[in-house]
Amino acid sequence: MIDFVQNTVDGIMFGSSYALLAIGFTIVFGVMRRINLAFGATIMLGAYAGTWLHVHYQVHVLVVVLTTVVCTVLVGIYVERLCFHAVRRDAALASMVSSFVVWMQLEEVAIHLLPERTYSFPSLIVAGSFELGPFLLRGEQITMLVLAAVMVGALHLLLHRTRYGLALRAISESPRAAAYMGIDAAWVMLCAFALVSLVGAVAGYAILATDEQITPFFGLWATFKGLIAMMLGGMGSLPGAILGGLLLGVVEAHAQWYLGNEYKDLSAYVLLFAMLVLRPGGLLGQRILGREELAFRRV
Amino acid sequence: MDDYVVTVLSNIGMISFIALSAYLLLITGEISFGQQAYFGLSAYAAGAATSMFGLPIWAAVLIGACTAGLMAMAVGALTLRLSGLYFSISTLAFAEMMRLILLIVEVQVEVDGEMVGPDGANGFHDIRWMFERDISLTEFMLFIYGLLALVLIALLLVERSRLGSVFRMLGSDDLLTEMQGLNTVRYRILAAGMAGAIAGIGGALYAHFTTYVEPQFFNVMLGVHALAYGLIGGLGTAFGPLVGVAIDIGFLEAVRFIQGYRMIVFGGLVAVLLIFMPRGILDEERVHRLKALFSRGNHARAERH
Repeated sequence: MIDFVQNTVDGIMFGSSYALLAIGFTIVFGVMRRINLAFGATIMLGAYAGTWLHVHYQVHVLVVVLTTVVCTVLVGIYVERLCFHAVRRDAALASMVSSFVVWMQLEEVAIHLLPERTYSFPSLIVAGSFELGPFLLRGEQITMLVLAAVMVGALHLLLHRTRYGLALRAISESPRAAAYMGIDAAWVMLCAFALVSLVGAVAGYAILATDEQITPFFGLWATFKGLIAMMLGGMGSLPGAILGGLLLGVVEAHAQWYLGNEYKDLSAYVLLFAMLVLRPGGLLGQRILGREELAFRRV
Repeated sequence: MDDYVVTVLSNIGMISFIALSAYLLLITGEISFGQQAYFGLSAYAAGAATSMFGLPIWAAVLIGACTAGLMAMAVGALTLRLSGLYFSISTLAFAEMMRLILLIVEVQVEVDGEMVGPDGANGFHDIRWMFERDISLTEFMLFIYGLLALVLIALLLVERSRLGSVFRMLGSDDLLTEMQGLNTVRYRILAAGMAGAIAGIGGALYAHFTTYVEPQFFNVMLGVHALAYGLIGGLGTAFGPLVGVAIDIGFLEAVRFIQGYRMIVFGGLVAVLLIFMPRGILDEERVHRLKALFSRGNHARAERH
């Protein structure tokens, strides 16, 4: 029983980082009805730029944080221009494939930047672990949980209390009606990309600082965890992304504990596949509309 | 021909199967990131057939293709409700699931005093059919291209037939297809099964060509490349994906100075191509025009009558 509770708690801690990654996917999907597969690689390249400065010039940690965030946003804008803005509006899948190949591109750039397999990643704060009754809590993970809660709160305010948030929600509701209201969709989308890159960079930094290392597999990892978490919760839903992230974290933690290490990732994919087969809309997602479904089919 | 050229040509041939497999689903309107699952499954099944049970190669290819095809039909039936992005992600999930399961599978039997069979994360060693039968690389390459030609001819015949029209109709509008009184469920499962079997043939050949397979080879990158080949080469004809494979492996492998920057070049190429030609170089329109060009003489004669 103690194991079960401890695993669940660990799962929620890990899950909060998945939730932060899922937010990046869900906002882009909500606004554009497209999936940005290069999201993880975008964060990775940004973090690699920060690590590069750290490795070669031993700069202060704050500079690393700043470089990571700024570079991630710049790369995010590059991805948006190349894979989303330039690709025809009715070609959602072309965008997805395009973002996939750009992912490969970004990954190779990152590997050219820092060719070794792993690099240590500087942590902003040093938090120890402490015990609460029979349970062990890690400081970094609590930081992550708090960070996730703060960012979700901030995003919620941004979406529901500002003019920009209104424009963003209007586009996600109906792009055509939003255009009639004089909303510049291209600009809102570019800003949305910059915004999710920012969220992603912060999430990515927190995750990497917890791991204390960075490898070229981070892009793949971040993309898949975020994507799975979003699909579990329901595409385009902010609460869904959080719920999906936490669910994924908890399921993985239990699978790892009770079945073994090799079952951790497997459980995530089994969960995703089962969810798609049984309830494609995710836990909180709307049912897939026939109209949208058709729009997705074009290559 | 030296061994290097033969190996590159053989790789082009084997990868063409998985490119054709992804292409077949693309013309029915579905993007699959997961055809490598069937390629890998068949590589294991066919490898087991020759190395563990001593079956001949044709039986191994048949077993591999059938296993992959049946599995693809089962997955197709499960994911029938899904389309577009949802379908793509489900194929990705299935393929990764398959790869991680293959990492766990350990089934070994003793053959001639040695343990042979899938060995979890260590992969599947000693599929020595080629050495045991003393088959040269060139002979095996001819075998690959023979099968590729058969598959290509079959696909071209399908495209000319009613089945091909139904597939393309499914791709452009499934509601319309249903209104024609066609059973879209049956055609979607059929397309999935055919695509799985084609990828399976490639996988079976791959296992015997390399004598060693590991789950790591069947990762998402293989699937994405397979998909990209169709999108680069064009969705208008079955030659499209082959053009894509030739451009990637043939051209980029040949040009030395791209080495190490290959994904940067390839990624950029595909991304730009998708902006200007969302359906590839040989898309339906160009194929149509090319056909008209070649048959102009016939048309002129027909019009005179």
